[in-house]
Amino acid sequence: MTTEIRSTTWVNTNHPAPAQKPPVTEVGPIGWLRANLFSSVGNTILTLVTAVALYFIVTGLVRWVSGAFWQPVWENRKLFAVGLYPVAQMWQPAAVLLMVSALFGLSAGRWGSIMRNLGVGLAALLLLFAIIPIGAQAQLVMAAGLGLLLIGYGVGARVPIPSRWLALGWVVSLPLTFILLGGGVNLPALGVRWQFAPFVEVNLWGGLMLTMLLAVVGIALSFPIGVLLALGRRSKLPVIKWFCIGYIELIRGVPLITLLFMGMTMLPLFLPSGWGNPSLLVRAMTAITLFSAAYLAENVRGGLQAIPKGQYEAADALGLSAFDSLRFIILPQALTKVIPAIVGQFIGLFKDTSLASLVGLLELVAVGKAVIQQPEWLGTPGGIAREVYVFIAVVFFVFSYGMSFASRKLESKLGFGKRQ
Amino acid sequence: MASSTFPTSRPPFFRDTRVIAVVLQLIFLIALALTGWFLYSNMVARLAASNTAAGGALSWAFLNQTAGFGISEGPAFRPDESYGRAFLVGVANTLRVGVVGIVLATLLGLFAGIARVSTNWLLSRLAAVYVEIFRSTPLLVQLLFWYVGVIAALPGIQEATELGNLGYLTNRGIHLTWIFVTETGRIWLAWLLAGFVLGIAASWLRRRHLERNGLTGSAALPGILVFLALAVIGYFAADMTASMPEATAYELRRGDRGTLFEDVNRNGVYEPGVDRTLAYVPIKLFDREGRVVATGLTEGDGTFRFINLPAEAVRLEWETPAPLAVSEPQLQGFNFRGGLSLTPEFAALLIALVVYTGAFIAEIVRAGISAVNKGQWEASRALGLNTGQTLRLIVLPQALRVIIPPLTSQYLNLVKNSSLAIAVGYPDLFNVSRTIVNQTGAEVQVILMVMGTYLSFSLITSLFMNWYNKRIALVER
Repeated sequence: MTTEIRSTTWVNTNHPAPAQKPPVTEVGPIGWLRANLFSSVGNTILTLVTAVALYFIVTGLVRWVSGAFWQPVWENRKLFAVGLYPVAQMWQPAAVLLMVSALFGLSAGRWGSIMRNLGVGLAALLLLFAIIPIGAQAQLVMAAGLGLLLIGYGVGARVPIPSRWLALGWVVSLPLTFILLGGGVNLPALGVRWQFAPFVEVNLWGGLMLTMLLAVVGIALSFPIGVLLALGRRSKLPVIKWFCIGYIELIRGVPLITLLFMGMTMLPLFLPSGWGNPSLLVRAMTAITLFSAAYLAENVRGGLQAIPKGQYEAADALGLSAFDSLRFIILPQALTKVIPAIVGQFIGLFKDTSLASLVGLLELVAVGKAVIQQPEWLGTPGGIAREVYVFIAVVFFVFSYGMSFASRKLESKLGFGKRQ
Repeated sequence: MASSTFPTSRPPFFRDTRVIAVVLQLIFLIALALTGWFLYSNMVARLAASNTAAGGALSWAFLNQTAGFGISEGPAFRPDESYGRAFLVGVANTLRVGVVGIVLATLLGLFAGIARVSTNWLLSRLAAVYVEIFRSTPLLVQLLFWYVGVIAALPGIQEATELGNLGYLTNRGIHLTWIFVTETGRIWLAWLLAGFVLGIAASWLRRRHLERNGLTGSAALPGILVFLALAVIGYFAADMTASMPEATAYELRRGDRGTLFEDVNRNGVYEPGVDRTLAYVPIKLFDREGRVVATGLTEGDGTFRFINLPAEAVRLEWETPAPLAVSEPQLQGFNFRGGLSLTPEFAALLIALVVYTGAFIAEIVRAGISAVNKGQWEASRALGLNTGQTLRLIVLPQALRVIIPPLTSQYLNLVKNSSLAIAVGYPDLFNVSRTIVNQTGAEVQVILMVMGTYLSFSLITSLFMNWYNKRIALVER
């Protein structure tokens, strides 16, 4: 038996008018303006008030920047860069710059991620200073640094250099920097005295170079201490746990400046009489390292807490010793997780090194103060303090914001900080 | 059949984890003690070799010695007072800039943080620029910029920039018109305290009533109303009943300046420390012919001074002041008198701390608001609430839970950062302590005192904020 299937579909042959474009007030620039600036009466008023305020801020700023007296900053550019470092030996800081550029290039090519972001920033800076006529030799060095960075990137991206070697390169680069800048090794306490160039006393180091050095040394030396403190704070042994908690909370509870002054005046007291007094730089670095270690420990602890318990249990099940499970299972995961936090801490430390100017180190801010005091600018109407401090603020801003930008890009790539 | 080799005896003691734990801790303690002893003995040896005023010994006797230096602002301090009191004045100055800074930074941060998530593109961009600029530059540079680049560049006293009736900006400080609690205001303050207590009680009763009867409504409102009512009634009551002390007397020097005080021992002479000065009392000065030559208010320390009087004053009359008095700064000779005076150091430090910390707080507020699920906004919209109501009733209460912990650490940072006062010469805790060290050589003791003070600030703030955090935390079933 068959049933006739009759079509039940109905097609509207009465075509409606062709699709119309959305009204201009809803899309495009006008729609955007309406949605973001003039969506309601209140919003419109807010926009207008903000626009007026912005107009005064921008015009005031433009007028000030164009009318400001930038000559002191320009003429003291060497002082801002490296402090009182002898001109005849400028090739030594230049060598450090080249070494760091090459390492950055290799790391950016090999590891990518945040290293590539930072490498791009460094390349942009090198390019900028290769173009600005700061001095033929300095420009040449910047260009060479840029070249090394690019070559390093190419090599790193193609040649599979073992990560371990590269990491070793970074570790070695730190003492090498000190040797290069100092012109040799001079440790009377150990009886070591070797030089390849005239010694450059650390009190001649200064400017941005010293600022960088303080921050890098602070974070690098505090890293092992901070990791140990973080592990100690999670230890089941009460003595070690409470020692670590006490240290971390004590240091985090007091301002850096008290530690810096303490390092300046009390560090020599703690050493045996025969050892003499360590240099100001060493004292400041000790204080900064001890300070930074407490904050680093808290960051690393955050990473350790984020590791699921199953990872510990799995490592135990595999029969790994406590040390091996930390080394192969726990720390690699925890430290990867806290890279953005450590970059953030580095930025903070980078800004905090400005406090070293209060204890007699000639870093960026101290150079600024010295430039303001230079006799040739004393007659300037209005003084040159604003120009100098704005310049220093811009230098700090470029580095801090650049690093935080690089780190934020990494965070969004790793998917941190995303909720819904 | 293979026999089982399962060990039945306990492992040897050197592999027993309990033993290892104890031994490890013992070794750690011994190492710690040895290091401590090494450092301590070095320190004692070096101190004995050096020739400081503290005599090399770790003695606390210096606290009672005469300081011999003055402190330019904060609670009155004379050079003949002790080092111990100088330290306390420093602590008070740190608290002064810390408390005012925290209040202002919270307001600025809240405003900028909400502006940052505003739907208004221009406003949110402007707030973002503010946050990024001030977060990415060192506080010390900002502080020096405000101090040397802005405040020192203001016009001198004679050409002061006038802010309408609000005050004057000069390179010697900022002078603001301010409302002060006067002599008779003490009674009003008692009313305010009573209003506060009764207000809390009223809102507690209201809350209990609401909860018992399952009603909805604001528990805070009755409390606020009770407080406001008592404040207003108290103001008029205090104004009507108040009188000046019976033994009010004045001292008039050189025909134009002097002190108004309560003559506690009734000997007719002003004796600092014994007699009580009377603040913000309206006064009239008369000359020999009985003509009024000047009118004004006494200052916070009970003194008054008038410049260029038409005739020498010989007599003074006072009136009973209202509980609150408005005092405007006035140029008297080479400085401003009256109103609220902020020294350039305090102003620079306060501005720097507020603007810097405000940027961090703004970022925390933004993060807190964006942490609230988008669905909450949409649900609130669906219920017909407007943006303001959504923010106030739905979003902020939830965001607060995310905001409080990092906010606490920003408050602590602000107090710790106030130690940068040493860069501009504001006599805070740390700055005063350096002066004490330079004069006495009591490095170790003073460092211990400074660290102990900052640590107790941290402890008190975190205890309070933890309590508050617990109160607003999500109550889970």
